[in-house]
Amino acid sequence: MSVIDVVGLTKHYGDIRAVEGVDFTVEKGEVFGFLGPNGAGKTTTIRTMLGLLNPTAGRATVLGADSTDEPAMIEAKRSIGYLPANPAFDDGSTGREILDLHASIKGDDRREELLDLFEPPLDREVREYSSGNRQKLGVVQAFMHDPELVIMDEPTSGLDPLMQQRFNEFVRAEREQDVTVFFSSHVLSEVRRVCDRVAILREGELVTTEAIESLLDRSGKFVRARIAGHVESDAFDGDEVHGFERTLIEDRAEELLAATDFESDADVVTEVRFTYTGDINDLVADLASYSFVDLDVEEAPLEEVFMRFYGPEQRGRAPRDEHGVAKPAGGDGGA
Amino acid sequence: MLELARYEARRRLKGALYLTVGLTLLAGMYIATFPSMAEDMNLDQFLEQMPEVFLELFNIATMNTIEGFLAAELYSIGWVLLLGLYMAYSAATIIAGDIDRERMDILLSLPVSRARVLGEKFLALLVPIVVVNAVLPVVIYAGTVAIGYPIDSVDLAVVHLLAIPYLLACGAIGVVLSVLTSRSSVAQRGALVAIFGLFLFESVTIIADYEQLGSIAPMRYFDATAVLVEGSYDWAGGAILLGATALLVGASMLYFGRRDIA
Repeated sequence: MSVIDVVGLTKHYGDIRAVEGVDFTVEKGEVFGFLGPNGAGKTTTIRTMLGLLNPTAGRATVLGADSTDEPAMIEAKRSIGYLPANPAFDDGSTGREILDLHASIKGDDRREELLDLFEPPLDREVREYSSGNRQKLGVVQAFMHDPELVIMDEPTSGLDPLMQQRFNEFVRAEREQDVTVFFSSHVLSEVRRVCDRVAILREGELVTTEAIESLLDRSGKFVRARIAGHVESDAFDGDEVHGFERTLIEDRAEELLAATDFESDADVVTEVRFTYTGDINDLVADLASYSFVDLDVEEAPLEEVFMRFYGPEQRGRAPRDEHGVAKPAGGDGGA
Repeated sequence: MLELARYEARRRLKGALYLTVGLTLLAGMYIATFPSMAEDMNLDQFLEQMPEVFLELFNIATMNTIEGFLAAELYSIGWVLLLGLYMAYSAATIIAGDIDRERMDILLSLPVSRARVLGEKFLALLVPIVVVNAVLPVVIYAGTVAIGYPIDSVDLAVVHLLAIPYLLACGAIGVVLSVLTSRSSVAQRGALVAIFGLFLFESVTIIADYEQLGSIAPMRYFDATAVLVEGSYDWAGGAILLGATALLVGASMLYFGRRDIA
């Protein structure tokens, strides 16, 4: 049985279609990333899964409980931790009082261990908390009862980089303990560091669900090359080349060429940068005809992959849909 | 069970103490002024000049006795109106406040039903209600003894006992508003309007000879004047208020159980 099973999940607010026909499943022990820009419907999906919102159509089950079946959900929640996007607590209570309340209802087997890691100021009133401290308190309450499934909405927002790193290490360690983790994010680098699989949501619809490796495979290579001599701007034209940029370096050409053992009488160096999504052997073959001063080929940053799923942020709706290049060939929509 | 109620009750304790101090001062002020007023003037003669609506609003029978005076001044203003408004206003944030401030998500991540969340939060309203109605009769009794106009202690105890269902009913009106909206400011304003409106409506219906219409108002079933001046105890009224409270809270639970937390 899947830990999370979402089928045709749809949520409309009046005329606004927040989520439309979303399908995915999350298996036990997976770290599942739920990606999308702000307003894509991530929070609505999560809150519907937890029974906070009633689906307009479709259904969601978590740990076998239908989200609209309150008694079943109450049972399931004993084994679920939830960290909402902006965790909020009673201003006049101290962190300790809040954790005591949670402990009295759902248990706190792991409270001390979590407090050693995340350290919110327990004896201060929540009204004095920074957003980072509220987030830490939120993380502690989400994990303190040793849940089987943890659902988190943008968990690292508000945490400083050190805490983010600690959090990511913590999530990876949880996975070793067979805990299922579902979290949303709009930060791809963090998803890449901790997730096994990702679903990408765009304007309320699921674009794709796939293993993080295949996303990285398809994400292509970022190529930055300094080539001896003049290269035409159409030299790398092709469907697999994205975001091509070319700079001619004339003033420092001699210096750059001298730094290599390569003999050349060229008086110019051309720097080209692009993302390549085709077969890597074809790339090597294409590059073979040039003489290089320098060549970097590295994994494309996920932000760039993201851009290809969504299209450039700044454009209007129509061109964005058109250029959405979004539907990648390998996307299986979670089927 | 009752973990949430205990937690909420602790949070209501401070407010309950402030409220008790405030009402003690108000009661002390009225009691202290009574002897000079009773000796220097005949207040009932003054009352005869007043329009009927005024007498109905504050349920005034006589002001020449300490019982009639306190019923007309302290109870009709302090309890029926001020405390009624306070309870409805406090109750209005029970659900709407947590949704408005985005606290409800974490609260409902606990393995508890929505009905239980609402019910236990409502129960915690008993803290201010009970504290005020346990401390004030002692204060008022001591005060009336001190000025040499001692009040009947049994009647006094009954007034405060019957005030409990009245205040619970006011709280229940606040809870209804609390589940109907997700904005606590709207719920709070609505609660104030509802209590004040019902207070006026109940009196006006009597004057206009539409007395039955006024029976929807909780003020109809709590009559401090009847208890203190006439010694008549309206236990049925108290039962009606408790029944209405259960009905309103139950309906709120049902509605809150189904609605979107948004």
